[in-house]
Amino acid sequence: MTQAKAAVIRSDLDIVIARTLARDTAKALGFGAIDQARIATAVSELARNIFLYAGTGSITVREVERQSRKGIEIVCEDQGPGIPDIDLVMQDGYSTSRGMGMGLPGAKRLMDEFDIRSHEGEGTTIVCRKWRT
Amino acid sequence: MDSLRIPILKIGDVLIASIQVALHDASAVQFKDDLLQKIHDTKARGVIVDLTALDVVDSFIGRLIADIAAMAGLMGTRVVLTGLQPAVAITLVELGLELPRVLTALNLEKGLAMMQSLTEESGDDAS
Repeated sequence: MTQAKAAVIRSDLDIVIARTLARDTAKALGFGAIDQARIATAVSELARNIFLYAGTGSITVREVERQSRKGIEIVCEDQGPGIPDIDLVMQDGYSTSRGMGMGLPGAKRLMDEFDIRSHEGEGTTIVCRKWRT
Repeated sequence: MDSLRIPILKIGDVLIASIQVALHDASAVQFKDDLLQKIHDTKARGVIVDLTALDVVDSFIGRLIADIAAMAGLMGTRVVLTGLQPAVAITLVELGLELPRVLTALNLEKGLAMMQSLTEESGDDAS
């Protein structure tokens, strides 16, 4: 198993760093070019979400194994304001003024598993995985 | 920190910008502003934005490209997007960003040919 690697999100430059980290890890784990792009794009959306709504946070990328399947796990954590209504932000097209309305639902579509937990005033944690085919 | 500037080249009355590095948000916004200003300054009739070198186009960049096409359109200039990699096309559609109103061509050569036919049919008035 490769070691987990983390990127701190503090600026828009860190969005590029986080998605490069995710792409390099996906490539090292044997994902094909299209899945690498899916994973890197999902991380870009998630990192931007942290930057826009929480200001700072972190993205951790690691290898996972379940039964005999291998995959990649992305954990996004922030201590931002939290999301009051998760169902609402997971709707396509929903956005506050700064977002595109496709960040979270788009990232979910690009990954195989997507779990989001958020508490108002405490922050948001998103865990998503993609399995190698 | 200074944002990275994307060079914008002029050939005849067409502008060509080839994005060669991953853009962070501020440099992407700078590119939009630079490009619109250059359209105004050069009275270009068409713009080709080549994305051959990009392996990730997320919703921010996708939306920005759609905005550039709409804004240039308001100024009377056509925008053609060229060179999208297969993985980029797939992720953009899966993301829900299909750019229905943006003209595209497979590569720069086909983009130039498309631009030529577009600017011919729209007449010679901007020269």
